[in-house]
Amino acid sequence: MTTAGQAIDANEPIVYVIDDDRSVRVALEDLLASVGLTARSYGSVKEFLSTPVANAPGCLVLDVRMPGQSGLEFQQQMTTLGIRLPVIFITGHGDIAMSVKAMKNGAIEFLTKPFRDQDLLDAIQQGIERDRLQRKEDSLSSNLRELWQALSPGERVVMELVVQGRLNKQIAGELGVSEITVKVRRSQVMRKMNAKSVTDLVRMWDRLK
Amino acid sequence: MVSLLICIFAADTVTNFEIAFAVFYIAVILIAVGFLSARGVAVLASICIGLTVFSLFLTQRGSFEAGLLNCGISTCAIGITTYLALKIVAAQAAVFDAQEQFARMARLTRLGELTASIAHEVNQPLAAVATSADACRRWLDHSPPNLERARQAAERIAVDARRASDVIVRVRRLAKNEAPHRERVDLNEAAVEAIGMAEHEIERNSISLQMNLADDLPSVMADKIQIQQVISNLLINAIEAMTGVPSFKRELTISSSRDEGGSVVFAVADSGSGMKQSTLDHLFEAFWTTKESGMGIGLTISRSIIEAHGGIISVTSAPRMGAVVQFSLPAAEEKQA
Repeated sequence: MTTAGQAIDANEPIVYVIDDDRSVRVALEDLLASVGLTARSYGSVKEFLSTPVANAPGCLVLDVRMPGQSGLEFQQQMTTLGIRLPVIFITGHGDIAMSVKAMKNGAIEFLTKPFRDQDLLDAIQQGIERDRLQRKEDSLSSNLRELWQALSPGERVVMELVVQGRLNKQIAGELGVSEITVKVRRSQVMRKMNAKSVTDLVRMWDRLK
Repeated sequence: MVSLLICIFAADTVTNFEIAFAVFYIAVILIAVGFLSARGVAVLASICIGLTVFSLFLTQRGSFEAGLLNCGISTCAIGITTYLALKIVAAQAAVFDAQEQFARMARLTRLGELTASIAHEVNQPLAAVATSADACRRWLDHSPPNLERARQAAERIAVDARRASDVIVRVRRLAKNEAPHRERVDLNEAAVEAIGMAEHEIERNSISLQMNLADDLPSVMADKIQIQQVISNLLINAIEAMTGVPSFKRELTISSSRDEGGSVVFAVADSGSGMKQSTLDHLFEAFWTTKESGMGIGLTISRSIIEAHGGIISVTSAPRMGAVVQFSLPAAEEKQA
């Protein structure tokens, strides 16, 4: 990770707003500013896609009904586009079918305009928190992966068998090497992975999968 | 046209039996199709045939047998022409009816779209107003209060409120052009026409249709098209409510009656899956729908139409018991005898 990236990621969250109505956008930006949140607003999905997403935790406030691409359609496309921002829907007239669809696709909240400001702010807070956790998780797994990649092929096999609960003797038999070799590789694995115990190692293995 | 008729008759009578002048009566019939009713054309055709036969007896010259034969040919020609001409006219009328029906459907759809777009147009500035008001309050709650940002928010509120009211002004102007239209309407007749429009859907969904229309129904003062729109809405809802039940259980019952207060009551009952109380509570709210593709304005529009006519619309239903939607309209005063 570069230092510049870390500077932005230094936890200044960004709320992205996509709504076709300018007044709604301006009002939302102002509301968010009044509680100290940074917002970036866009008039359409296309406009949003043409600007890069910052490397910072955030969430997306999305209008359902927009000319061009609707919010619901865009939500379904986001995974294929590799955008993982949590989504909060706002809509002029939501029906049950719409909200069920949105929630099933992982939306944080589905609010009907005009909404209570606290409801929106709560949802945004929740969204940012979710994104922050997700990002932490991601960087943790990528660290683990780096550690795992530093293991030798022999050590990887031993690690796999250890987390399956095999004894050194069994591992030795299975791999056709001496028990001493297994012991050596095993301690190497523990050291290189920074694992304090076998339980620790099992947890890391789960995360790597 | 009468002079043409006389000319042909005279020519037919004066000329020999061998000359079948009577076939020219066809021209008279073809001309008459343009402005006479079907019955009128039929009467004219029989007059023409009568004249043909009459002139057979008046004609002095030539062979009587040839005359008889020619008279037969002319009579056949007149008959066939009349039959074909009337058939064409009927086909044209059917096409015209279908066009009118289509135009009516299109108008209903447009009305729905219009309402939806008005609601959206008004709701957007209202949402902005509400959000700006929230922001304004929050700027004032800062310590010290951020008066400049609060003032900006207040200004936005004023602008957006004006925008919302502009939409209302536009709608009102639009509505003014359409004066309420009231005429004496036979509800049964209006219903049968509306059902006719939905017949295809009823058949396509293998729904069995039962009609219990009261004979001695007083007429109501109403805008027939609007009332038919309500009935169509109810029928469509009923048909769609039954898509979830097996086809042998799909029953649509349409009834009309008179209640104790003298009002005319019209009801549409389906055998669909019915509704819970929580659904019933929202049924007449605009943009509230249980349908995947619905706008949620059918019943809302229906209620505003019925209420504008001084009537009442209501729904009763229970889960698995189907639903009954009924509306009542005040009966029109008896005609002066």
